[in-house]
Amino acid sequence: MTSCGSDIPEKSESFMFPQDKVVPVGSNMTFCCIVKEKDDFKEMMYGRQEMSATRLSRRTYAITVTNQPASGNTGTNVICCSQRLTLTGAVVFVGYPPGDEGLVCETRDLASAECSWKKGRDTRLRMKRSRTKYTLNGRDCLEANERKTWWCSSKVWEESWTLVARNPLGTVQLTDSAQLTDRVHLLAPVNVTAVEVEAWSATLQWSWSVASYKKLEMVCQLQLFAHELSSTRNYSGPGLSSVVLESLRPDVDYTVTLRCGSKHSFWKWGNESAPFRIHTKMDRPDALDVWMWMDSSNTGRVFWKPLSVRKSHGALVGYEVSQSSAEEDGRTPVSLPPGNFSYPIILNNSSDITVAVAARNPAGLSHVTLHALSVISFPVDSQLSVSELLGTNGSFVLSWQPNVNASSGYAVEWVPTGCSGLCPVDWKKVPESDCSFTVNSDSLVAGVRYTVSVYSLSTGALTLLQRWQGYSQEMIPSQSVSKLSPIQTGSDVLLSWKATAMEHQRGFIRGYTVYLANAAHLDLIANISDPEVQSYRVKGLSPSFYKFVVKAYTSAGEDAGSTVDIKIEMDTADMLFVGILVPLGIMFCCLILISICCYKKREWVKKAFYPEIPGPKVPGDWSSPQGPLDVKPSPHSLVHIVENPERDFTKEGLFLVPEEEEESENDNIEVDTDSDEPALLRYYNQVVGDGSHSNQVSDSSGSSTASVGSTQTEITYAGIQSPTSSQGACGGGGYRPQMQSVAGPAEPQIEFEADFQDDGLNTGYKPQCSWQLDSPEAENFSGSLGSPTSVTSSQFLIPESSEEKPQPSNTWFHNFLSGKS
Amino acid sequence: MEGAADSGRAAALARLLHRDCTRLLQLYKERESFLSQHAPGGERLVTLALCPEALSTGEQVGHVRSALRRCMGLLECLIVREVEEMGEELEGEYESLRKTVRDRLGHLLHSTGALLEEGEGGCPPSPPLQCTEGQDEVDGSDSFAAKRWTYRVLLELIHWTDSASQTLHLFHSEKHGQQQQQLL
Repeated sequence: MTSCGSDIPEKSESFMFPQDKVVPVGSNMTFCCIVKEKDDFKEMMYGRQEMSATRLSRRTYAITVTNQPASGNTGTNVICCSQRLTLTGAVVFVGYPPGDEGLVCETRDLASAECSWKKGRDTRLRMKRSRTKYTLNGRDCLEANERKTWWCSSKVWEESWTLVARNPLGTVQLTDSAQLTDRVHLLAPVNVTAVEVEAWSATLQWSWSVASYKKLEMVCQLQLFAHELSSTRNYSGPGLSSVVLESLRPDVDYTVTLRCGSKHSFWKWGNESAPFRIHTKMDRPDALDVWMWMDSSNTGRVFWKPLSVRKSHGALVGYEVSQSSAEEDGRTPVSLPPGNFSYPIILNNSSDITVAVAARNPAGLSHVTLHALSVISFPVDSQLSVSELLGTNGSFVLSWQPNVNASSGYAVEWVPTGCSGLCPVDWKKVPESDCSFTVNSDSLVAGVRYTVSVYSLSTGALTLLQRWQGYSQEMIPSQSVSKLSPIQTGSDVLLSWKATAMEHQRGFIRGYTVYLANAAHLDLIANISDPEVQSYRVKGLSPSFYKFVVKAYTSAGEDAGSTVDIKIEMDTADMLFVGILVPLGIMFCCLILISICCYKKREWVKKAFYPEIPGPKVPGDWSSPQGPLDVKPSPHSLVHIVENPERDFTKEGLFLVPEEEEESENDNIEVDTDSDEPALLRYYNQVVGDGSHSNQVSDSSGSSTASVGSTQTEITYAGIQSPTSSQGACGGGGYRPQMQSVAGPAEPQIEFEADFQDDGLNTGYKPQCSWQLDSPEAENFSGSLGSPTSVTSSQFLIPESSEEKPQPSNTWFHNFLSGKS
Repeated sequence: MEGAADSGRAAALARLLHRDCTRLLQLYKERESFLSQHAPGGERLVTLALCPEALSTGEQVGHVRSALRRCMGLLECLIVREVEEMGEELEGEYESLRKTVRDRLGHLLHSTGALLEEGEGGCPPSPPLQCTEGQDEVDGSDSFAAKRWTYRVLLELIHWTDSASQTLHLFHSEKHGQQQQQLL
């Protein structure tokens, strides 16, 4: 487009061409800016984009825009600017032609028409002058043009329709044709109401806003909503305005919606009515599911399962239980509040009873459920064998043989084993055609032993068919074995225990494991797979401290275990053996060794412990007897025995008593055995021959005798005897150094001086007293025989070598020391 | 005491309205981007040339009120035009705030009128507002000219609501001071 003659002095103001153009998306346009006189030109912009302007004349500039994008709601601004301000500008509207489609016409009132279509793509043209205009069959569509909706109405059904949609960028034409009866779209029913509402049915009524609906054969769809459940029901009829709703549930709140359509040439469902609420009335509850369970021969409980809301037919107000027997008439029923689901039953000398349980709500009492109980057929302690039952994924899967007497089906009962009183008894009645049942894990508790029983039901009788005990899911025992005690037998230990109580087993006990506890871990020493075994012997234990652990295990595993300690000590016999006999044995062995050593070294032992006393070397002839030698023993201290009980403790020991006259007459000296004075000693020197001299000792002062051996050895013994001593050894004499016992210090040793050459001593010193072993005097000499003072022998007394030496006639002792037999 | 309270509320309303008008122009400039670069020129749409000299604060309030009344007329023309052109489909922030400004401006006019004595500060009535004013001389509708006019109307609103806020604040201070003196 070219606008001529605008760049003239008369038009001095700024302006731009073209203004308010409407162009399709993707177009190319040129804009011209005529700058005001004396104003400077800086730039032209298309939207936010700076454009490269071309100067066309003195004050005219132009830009060209290509591939224009769709503009915004208020169009795209094109401006022409100076350095300081915006001089002038224009708005261009870039959009799309109409994209409407899908014209459909229908009737709502069986007379007029309503045509609707889809808008299609947005034209992006918001300005009023650019909007799409609609005509239907040549008539302006006011609804679409003014209210911007996409439907047109026509008062008359024309069976053929043409819709024209036009905007500055294009035109689109839509058509539709149909019979009126084929395009019936009913309005929503109005004034929906419920009449004659009962417990199980209700009558619904409504009306129509279009009178012509009454003749229309229609089908109506009713939606029922209750408890998050919905159901759909269809009804049909000419001008349908009421329906009877059957198979409703008592005491239920229903929400109803309704919509209808033409039954013939059904086009679409009409508008849906507003929701309407219906609350059905209550009815008597359904019969209860009742079961009886006996925990003893005459006590039990009757149980019943709570009714669901669906079966209650109204909120329950309580239960009624009555009991009757053959002997007694029916008792007064007992009313129980809701929430009670069991009642105790006591049999009073009656084997057959009938229990009736019923539920009550405001509408009335349910049908009575009778439960006939025959104790005989319902034994508590049944002799029927009980099988082990294992759970399957926490459930019990049961099956049994069909029973011909099960005219009323079967009943499966499960209850925790050993329970009494108010027990969680559960049951399920199955029809006679079923011979299997699965007790779901929902009603079972893991680790609890259940007794599951199957009964056949017939009129008035129950018969126990099969019974199991099992766990839905075994667990490890909650308590371990009890009374674990050890008993030591020698080096063995016998462990014994008592099995875990059933309520703590939580599974079938499969056996026991025995461990020996070390510092850091347990060592398995036995695995007892027989649960009946409750003891174990640990053998060959050395004395020490031991800790044993016994655990019971089920299929789920072992329990925590019971622990016992024991200290193994040595046996009494062993202790005796070890403590007494062994030392004895060692001692005897030592003695034997010592004896052997002594025997081997007997000569050394002799020399060391029993040396021979060398004889005196006496010059001269000592063979002639000499007279006795009286020797006055050296004076010694006398001890006075002071018979004064008061002892002077200040003085220690004894004190010296002055000596008294010691000399006395030789022959008349009386030996005062009680005094402290030493007696005058008289020694006799007498050589004993072959034994013939053995009886010549007649000297009362005693004499020393010499013993003559069997050979030619003469041994002279010194016999010390007091002069007054009577007959004693050696024929009245002999060495009796200790004949007188003196209370006092030991007598000093009398030293003999073998000065036997003093012949003047004839006082009777006879230091040598000879005797023979076999002589009859030997016995007499036993008390006075002293030590040998000389030995005269024609043989060597001490052989130089032990070999082939003539054995002297000595004692065995001498023989032993000499090593000879 | 009521006079001071009323003037205080009127001053507060004027401040709030001023903020709304500022935000309204900001939204309009975001939609019509050309306004952010170079402001269009043109004469003022609302003036007090015909008003006598305002000697007192009360008279100033009256003058400002007259200007706001003129602004109200312009705003209503603006709304009618935009609805006519665009329809009522658009319900963005600009359209919503535009409505709020109109409502609060009406409340402000009422509030300030109650503060003034009979005829105080009033200006001679101006010619009836023609909503066609501001259109370009070019034949046919000129959408760009209408946008420039809308921009000028929004500027007037900002200017006169700011003036009303200051004048009413001064008026309130004087009222409050007078009442304090009366109490003493």
